[in-house]
Amino acid sequence: MSAAVEHPGTAPDPFVHPALFYRDEREYLDGTVPFVREGLAAGEPVAVAVPGDRLRLIKDALGDDAETVRLLDMREAGRNPGRIIPGVLRAFADAQPAGRRVRIIGEPIWAGRSATEYPACAQHEALINAAFRGRTVTILCPYDTERLPEPVLADAHATHPTVIPAGPGPAHDSAAYAPDAVVARYNEPLPLVPDALTVPFTAESLPQARHLASDEGRRLGLTGVALEDLTLATAELTTNSVVHGGGSGVLRVWGEGGHVLCEVRDRGRLTDPLAGRRPPARERRGGRGLLLVNLIADLVRMHTGDEGTTVRCWFAR
Amino acid sequence: MPSLTVRPLDGCRGVRAAGEIGLATRTIWERVLEQAVREGEGVYYLELSEVTFVDVAGADALAAAAERLGDGRRFVVRRPPPALRRVLEMFWPDLPTIEVSMS
Repeated sequence: MSAAVEHPGTAPDPFVHPALFYRDEREYLDGTVPFVREGLAAGEPVAVAVPGDRLRLIKDALGDDAETVRLLDMREAGRNPGRIIPGVLRAFADAQPAGRRVRIIGEPIWAGRSATEYPACAQHEALINAAFRGRTVTILCPYDTERLPEPVLADAHATHPTVIPAGPGPAHDSAAYAPDAVVARYNEPLPLVPDALTVPFTAESLPQARHLASDEGRRLGLTGVALEDLTLATAELTTNSVVHGGGSGVLRVWGEGGHVLCEVRDRGRLTDPLAGRRPPARERRGGRGLLLVNLIADLVRMHTGDEGTTVRCWFAR
Repeated sequence: MPSLTVRPLDGCRGVRAAGEIGLATRTIWERVLEQAVREGEGVYYLELSEVTFVDVAGADALAAAAERLGDGRRFVVRRPPPALRRVLEMFWPDLPTIEVSMS
């Protein structure tokens, strides 16, 4: 089921990343539980990060074996898709001893994902391929074909090199596999929001920008850790603009439904698609700002191009 | 301009800092930490109750300095702002040479 598809004349990538399409509970368990058991039987470390209701299904089916599996509710651990690679997948894979394949079930896209979250979800699925190239890891991604819309299922064929169709039928290469095209397609512009607190900043006014964001966040209903996180995210994004993004930028803060948003626009261009998605290397200094933002925000959306870069973050209020 | 002022502590080895640690004050902070690593043995106190904010690079500099402390040495970081605690817990949760003290 999860065997790498080999191509004659080329060394196969040890990284295996199949999409598992399922129509119902039975197909879900048939596709996931044997995958977990095969791993356990081979002495491989196994993690399951799926939405809570699905997690319970797998846990119950595994019985006592569930105790040796790392179980995570993806609705919490992977609320912001940008934190799944560093905070869930690599956090688990990198902590395992070398030499054994690592198996992970990761279900980042469920029926309740909003239209605002989805572009970040699709980019995340596409970027897993670059993040794990060359690693002896298998990440199986279930997709609910009954409840997810057709374009989402089509994207899954573009973000996964291997697909396991719903119903009977073997795993096969995905003819539509094109992860870079997905990253580019969902690099969607983030239109300016009217009536936001708008603060242009340079190196000299970084502290004022941070204070204004914090005051506005408080006025809009953030308290405690969420307010501290908004303040930290603002500080990191505005500092990034000054250091890497042309020396200045514009900060905006506003409320939208259950969230307070902050956004930073600058003239820089983000050239590294995995920026903010690599776990920190203990011995390396610097470069943790965007990673921190991914780890603390409930959602991060980005747009980058010749005209500049926009990073927008959501914090639940 | 934001500032960071640093003065020696009375009665123990260390400094009391006041202000904020960000892009504009990073060099001052790194000099403080450099001095702390060079200075003597045992415990070195960083009294931060009057520091209002520390960014990730400031926490990074503190962690890097703490990693250079030799055997038996550590930093005691007193009453740091919440942002520093949050960032240390996130990226350097098990650093044995940093002790965060809220008293």
